Amino acid sequence: MSEVTERSALGGKVAGIGVRLPTLLTRRDLVVLVVFAIAVLTMPTWLVALGGYEALATKIVIWAIFALGFDILLGLTGYLSFGHAAFFGTAAYVTGLSLKHLSADILPAMALSFVVVLVVALALGVLTLRRSGIYFAILTLAFAEMAHALVLSSTLQKWTGGDNGLTGLASPSLFGSRLSDHSVFYICSALLIAGYVFARVLRRSPLGLMLRSIKENQMRLEYTGVNVFAYKMAAFVVSAMYAGLAGSLMVIYEPYVATKYLYWSTSGEVVIMSVIGGVGTLIGPIFGAGFMLYFENVVQAFIGEQWKLLLGIIFVAIVIFLPGGFADLGRLGWKAMGGVVRSRRHNVPDMPGSVEEDRRRRQRGDLEEDDD
Amino acid sequence: MIETVNGHASAPILEVRGVSKWFAGLKALDCVNLTVQEGSIHAIIGPNGAGKSTLLNVLIGLIEADDGTITYAGETLKGLSPHNIIQKGIARVFQTPQIFPALSLVENVAIAILAKRDGKFSIRLLEALRPGHPVVELAAEHLREVGLADHLQSEAQHLSRGDKRRLELALCLAAEPRLLLLDEPTAGMSRHDTNRTIDLLQHLSRKGMTKIVIEHDMHVVFSLADRISVLAQGAVIAEGVPEDVRGNPKVQQAYLGEASA
Amino acid sequence: MTINSIFLMLVTGLQLGAIYALIATGLTLIFGTLGVVNFAHGALYLIAAYAAVVVSNELGFGLAIVLVPIILFVVGIAMERGLIQFFYRRPHTDQILVTFGLAIVVEELMRWIFGANNIPFALPAWGSGQVLFYGLGAVVPEAIPGLRIPMPFVNGFVFFPAWRLLLIIVTMLTIVALFAMLQFTRFGLVVRAGMRDPEMLRFLGVNVTQRFAIVFGLGALIAGIAGVFGGPVTQVSPPVGMALLVPSFLVVVIGGMGSMFGALLAALLIGMSLSFTTGFAAAAGDPLLKDILTALQQIVIYLVAVVVLLIRPRGLFGKKGVFE
Repeated sequence: MSEVTERSALGGKVAGIGVRLPTLLTRRDLVVLVVFAIAVLTMPTWLVALGGYEALATKIVIWAIFALGFDILLGLTGYLSFGHAAFFGTAAYVTGLSLKHLSADILPAMALSFVVVLVVALALGVLTLRRSGIYFAILTLAFAEMAHALVLSSTLQKWTGGDNGLTGLASPSLFGSRLSDHSVFYICSALLIAGYVFARVLRRSPLGLMLRSIKENQMRLEYTGVNVFAYKMAAFVVSAMYAGLAGSLMVIYEPYVATKYLYWSTSGEVVIMSVIGGVGTLIGPIFGAGFMLYFENVVQAFIGEQWKLLLGIIFVAIVIFLPGGFADLGRLGWKAMGGVVRSRRHNVPDMPGSVEEDRRRRQRGDLEEDDD
Repeated sequence: MIETVNGHASAPILEVRGVSKWFAGLKALDCVNLTVQEGSIHAIIGPNGAGKSTLLNVLIGLIEADDGTITYAGETLKGLSPHNIIQKGIARVFQTPQIFPALSLVENVAIAILAKRDGKFSIRLLEALRPGHPVVELAAEHLREVGLADHLQSEAQHLSRGDKRRLELALCLAAEPRLLLLDEPTAGMSRHDTNRTIDLLQHLSRKGMTKIVIEHDMHVVFSLADRISVLAQGAVIAEGVPEDVRGNPKVQQAYLGEASA
Repeated sequence: MTINSIFLMLVTGLQLGAIYALIATGLTLIFGTLGVVNFAHGALYLIAAYAAVVVSNELGFGLAIVLVPIILFVVGIAMERGLIQFFYRRPHTDQILVTFGLAIVVEELMRWIFGANNIPFALPAWGSGQVLFYGLGAVVPEAIPGLRIPMPFVNGFVFFPAWRLLLIIVTMLTIVALFAMLQFTRFGLVVRAGMRDPEMLRFLGVNVTQRFAIVFGLGALIAGIAGVFGGPVTQVSPPVGMALLVPSFLVVVIGGMGSMFGALLAALLIGMSLSFTTGFAAAAGDPLLKDILTALQQIVIYLVAVVVLLIRPRGLFGKKGVFE
């Protein structure tokens, strides 16, 4: 071994021997989290004041969980999945089937769908994550469609209900007592708040830094001794679990499984929410979920079915002119009011190439950095 | 074969035997032999297209050699994935500086420290990488060492090319490698920056780190190198201490009048 | 399993692959030259199919055949000049997002204008009916209508929908025309060179941006042809665009992104896989086997994709920017 350098003293420091690490959550963090928790828990009240209805709050919370998990993948690693409906829908079907055939209790249903989604996520990750972002987008779309086709097929129809979806589910209960709409809302909210705390901790953790570096330069990361594929899988699986949780809760909220849950439109919706809200900001996609569902609810009352068209146009406009979404808008507004903004924009989506692609592009001088 | 480097007894850390590589009919590397003593600075020079970068890429596992063996510290590197190779204590500086553009300087270096501390994959959630965290502090140290103390929190993409090169060096050093591979580290640098880089690399050599440097700038090569291998058209045409290589007629011919500093 | 049913499965396979082949070719052309992944390509097909219905109802089908591809060519150029060109320098994610958004807008627009249901796309009189493939020595009664086509392999005679045969022929002609254009014209040469190395082309002073617009227009035109002839087959309703895009993407991926020949081969492979699984499923006697085969029929293209990608991760002929 080469001679011991004075690094070893600092090395001890790094290992955390006898050193106090900074606290996980600062005071500012706690303030943000408390405000967030209050906003979520009081949603049924202020949503009604804005023209919504109570049950919509639960729906928003569920989609917020979905979008939050999606942002962990897209916002941190830059991988754009068009197949997250596969996790949402699979969890929904497993939960539904459990409620129908196994027990009306939500715990076994959720546990079962947790396991199934984990397996599906691992399989899908292995098949799709070794490639560049473009392949990944296409393949995730394709495999989600496969799940959708399977569920509709005449072979599985007797289990899945085919076109009509899965009906006849028992009303969900917990420990024997039937769950009221209010209880469902509070369960979902608690999970969203926990999920948000987890996401924030994740982003600031060493794991979070590794994930963010994937989006920046996979080759550099690999050549710093990091197993990039393993980290990609980690992000993908975490993201899938959020989606699965949302899907499970969806069926608990409304005991019916629509085939739409596996359709590409569901994948598309979470993409739209995240982009509109602001990719990479964590809170942005949550807001995006609220915005989209509120939009659907309120605007539909005015212009009927065309709300989707309008939303699509808004989405395209945001991609063209404001890729950072509403979060960026918020930042600009804050700046305009004289506030100080952190100079970095985390939330402009980018797509990582594979290590191979990066290497070739760099060899061709494609990715020139600024020269002086 | 024990030799002395800087007065210390030393053993070969890298042995390359008979490595060949074909690219679609073109022989990029022709039976290359290379022995690098631990703790030394070994330069690889040669005219453009000689295969220097290819050799480096083969060493690091980016490309697989068609023939021959590569032994690093007694182990073979064949068939290992890049991150596994790096974890054995090798670091690589690229021709165009490879850094993480939208991350801060501190974050850039922190990644290397974490890769060393936690290995190729580990789930560390219950730590907040904020100022005060030992990894963050150590990253700042490394940045100071290469002269980038002023811009710690700014984004790496805003750096000049010379500074990006320095950042990349800090990144590599933070991994505390036994062997550092440098691909034209002073390319595109001003005379001032080049001298600073030479000083930095000389300073590091006293720490026992082995370096393989591909270079065009002869001033750099002759200031730094303990031994030089000369590559031309994929084959080693000369090898030895700087004085011998400088006077070697084959080398002068290969460069065809290219000025030496 | 008679020789006739196998023959039918072969021809059906060709037909099923045909639409995918056309869409995938357009996708590959655009991706190979412009480097843009066009999630709106299914929407182009959708526009074409609806346009074909409208033109056909007002002016007759013959004019639809001529006008719709031209309309789509113009739409393609407008799309490229109006939107896509601003995204060349933007990250791939943004390109995908904007074309995806466009696809949604187009689908919703169609839903608004034409309604959510299938609108009928009547076949022209000369295109409806059956053709007859007859084998050696077969005697076909005079009374049976339909174009007779000699086919030595067939035992007796078999029917096949005339329109579907036409679709196959049109696809082949389009592909051949495209290949010819790319191989033998100067424009084609520029496109092929651009697919290999757009930077070099710029250095040579070639007006690449103008070429890009035309290439995009071409891709749209091919989707236009697909829409006119494929519309009656795939039905005309808003979800059809995306429903076709997914398998077409898979075809491109299986064939290898950037390879036209790969896309064609993959389309053929997919078409045949679909056709044969459907055929065997229909013919299966054992109910369990039938069940399995029917399920397989739904997912066979995904299974093919998985198998190909596991064996050859780059796709069959995957090499970015290489034409053949």
